[in-house]
Amino acid sequence: MLVKLLSGSMKKMWKDYLVLLFGLTISIAIFYMFETLAQNQAFLEANALIASIVFVFHVGTFILALVTIFYIFYATSFILSLRQKELGMYMTLGAKKGKVTQMMFLETLVIGIVSLIIGLVFGVGLSEGIGRLLMARLDFSGEGFHSLYPSSLVTTVLFYFVLFLLTAIVNAIRVSRKSVLELLHADQKTDTKTIKGWKTFLGTLFAIVLITVGYVAMINMGNLAQLGVIIAAATVTPGTYFFFMAMLPFLIKRIKAIRSINEKGLNSFTYAQLDFRVSQLTKVLGTVAMLIALGLGAMTAGLSFYHNTEIQSSMMHGYDIKVHQPTEDELAEMENWKFEERNLYSYRVTEDSVYFSKHDLQANPPVIKELGGNLEELSKEVRLTDDLTAPVYTDEETDNAESIPEQWQTALRTELMANFYLFGDRTLYILDQEKFEEINASTQTVLIGKVDNFADYTDTLAKIDERHHQLAIDYTGEDPTTIGSKYENYTTIKSLANGTIFMGLFLGVAFLMMMASVLMFKLLSSATADIERYQMLRKIGVRQAKLKKSIYKELFLVFLFPGLIGLVHVLIGMEMFSFILIEPYTKIWIPISLFLVIYGLYYWLTVKMYQRIVLPKD
Amino acid sequence: MTKPVVNVTNAQKVFGKKSENQFKALDNVSFAIEEGEFVGIMGPSGAGKTTLLNVVSTLDKATSGKIEIAGQDITDMKQNELADFRSEQLGFIFQDFNLLENLTVYENIALPLSLQGFSSRKIKPLVIQVAEKLGIKSVLQKYPVTISGGQKQRAAAARALVHEPAIILADEPTGALDSKNAHSLMKTMEHLNQFHDVSIMLVTHDPLSASYCERILFIQDGNLYKEIKKTGDQQHFHQQILNVLAELTSIQSL
Repeated sequence: MLVKLLSGSMKKMWKDYLVLLFGLTISIAIFYMFETLAQNQAFLEANALIASIVFVFHVGTFILALVTIFYIFYATSFILSLRQKELGMYMTLGAKKGKVTQMMFLETLVIGIVSLIIGLVFGVGLSEGIGRLLMARLDFSGEGFHSLYPSSLVTTVLFYFVLFLLTAIVNAIRVSRKSVLELLHADQKTDTKTIKGWKTFLGTLFAIVLITVGYVAMINMGNLAQLGVIIAAATVTPGTYFFFMAMLPFLIKRIKAIRSINEKGLNSFTYAQLDFRVSQLTKVLGTVAMLIALGLGAMTAGLSFYHNTEIQSSMMHGYDIKVHQPTEDELAEMENWKFEERNLYSYRVTEDSVYFSKHDLQANPPVIKELGGNLEELSKEVRLTDDLTAPVYTDEETDNAESIPEQWQTALRTELMANFYLFGDRTLYILDQEKFEEINASTQTVLIGKVDNFADYTDTLAKIDERHHQLAIDYTGEDPTTIGSKYENYTTIKSLANGTIFMGLFLGVAFLMMMASVLMFKLLSSATADIERYQMLRKIGVRQAKLKKSIYKELFLVFLFPGLIGLVHVLIGMEMFSFILIEPYTKIWIPISLFLVIYGLYYWLTVKMYQRIVLPKD
Repeated sequence: MTKPVVNVTNAQKVFGKKSENQFKALDNVSFAIEEGEFVGIMGPSGAGKTTLLNVVSTLDKATSGKIEIAGQDITDMKQNELADFRSEQLGFIFQDFNLLENLTVYENIALPLSLQGFSSRKIKPLVIQVAEKLGIKSVLQKYPVTISGGQKQRAAAARALVHEPAIILADEPTGALDSKNAHSLMKTMEHLNQFHDVSIMLVTHDPLSASYCERILFIQDGNLYKEIKKTGDQQHFHQQILNVLAELTSIQSL
């Protein structure tokens, strides 16, 4: 009988249940998505630039699990708030407490299991869809990536089953502890809790200390390595929650206490809504802030790897373009390119040697990249001077001639690509004009140059490298595996980075989706209770426009704080990658402005939806 | 006599579209409330009391007819004008209090003033003054859930009064109160009417509450059925009211 009653009223509140089911489903789907990567060790190791990637994913799983636990406990307590009045009524009609408790337990569990099934199907679909999409965009084959990954499936099912079991027990206990009257009058309770001053102080202090420790760990990630990741995860996560539990309610209370602000127009209502909301929102806002940090962080890291491929590939190369024996077509094509520097050098090739013209080298001394001890020094550019005084230089050990200075060797081998791949074991010579003319071979040229935007010309550079391979075959008789151009370096690094970029974007999308669903769930689940308030305000004569403005303001603040905290986490957190990326902050404005636009749109959408639900219709 | 604060002429309210089954909730109702009057509206369930109140309170639009409040015609006002009009000229007291439970009693009472742009320096003395008048000064800093039903209704009355509206519209204000609290609230309203010249329009089905009024309009099937005036003491008026209600019941059962 009770089952019938409950399922009956469940139909009545189907909208609320739909919101709940949606929230849970997304959480499950995202958790599963994350696990498809996290548990696929072979894929991770084959595709990541970060050596301890599997470990990083373990820590990620830990943070996500923590965040999910907070969220699920919050979301399932929503079932209780929907139900308690009704359960109280059944009890006044004679239902036994045991029965009612049992009902609450079963309902929570059933909803959990239903959303688990839908969530898994949805999760497989999502990882397949997003995976394929990103692979296509990134030219990434993604071998070894499986959207249906059995061990992830098992983990997700186990994790959520245990979680739902726990929440079902908690809900049941909460029902059993309440008296009939408490249940009946549950909806008349105000949720404004008075927070003790010293608790706020302690909580805030705790939040600041934890977050600071986490930030320091992230900044020194290079030295701390794995320990740093653990420290950061274990401090920033609880620190964020502490911030929202202690500091934010306190902040709003302070604003509310300023009478001249509070008693202006609808402000008292707006801040009361916020105050009311913030004290029950703390965990949700903490979760949202963490998800923003994770999502935006993953995306920014991914894009940072992407933008660093060019920087990384110029680590060894002073020049972007290196063309041996350019053809007419190539020269014509290059006429349209924007060169910042362009040099031509003559050389002659014989059976066992390559001769460079000292005259050309001295006329336009090239730059080289000096190797230093760490990453920053790697990219130091040095312009060579015309200190070649002897008539003959060679790289062979001989008494007949001076050996080529080390810097000039680098210039020839790397920048002018007079390397082993192209010319085999031919000896290099630098000759003065007189001696150069004596060499019995035709004069060839090599063109090297710097361009404004290297990535714009990759198509042509690929063709040029193909020709270089042909040239190498002509000179050495075999096709070398590498040719030593910057373009080649760039594609190698890019294909390596693609895996990491893929993971970053994949997770970024996943986390931001979960963030959106958490925020949406929270707001929609409390909207029903707000309808009455707005109705009332309309009755006493508040203009619709003012009500709308109040909603804009209230939700703005709800969106602002987690957004801000998440953003700061990311900005500091990117420093973590400075031990593996040369410039982790390169073009960081791209992901951040992308995020701001999406977040802003999402804010606007939420406001509109919310207004539709709560505002009285005229 | 003073000028009328509420003037209703041929008000009609029809529910349902033209093609459907139409129902006339108000059928050519005309009446006026003078400034400083305490008028009750009575009638059996479904007679049109609440519809009349909604139309007068600008929450609902009359299908036809003219309604003037404080000399202003509200029938052709726009939504925003109506909202402003409500916030300046009308004070509401509802059966279920309609206090915002996330605001303190003080903030609830202050809200109409804040909405009209009063500075917080001006708001405080006004709120305290009205709270003293209604005997709820001690609960100003509390939230509505923590105070009694009687106190809630007084808080609602204070909020209705604080901006000195042209008229107070009360919809079954004693409906959710016990008899002692109901009596005390009606006494207060009577006092406000007599000593502070507050005009009140009270909709109720409770004869005892109605007996505090000076004049009562009876509505039946959307029509004005009868009007009685208090001539003797309250006891006598109460009896008169009961007689009219008995009349109405006997008509209905025919």
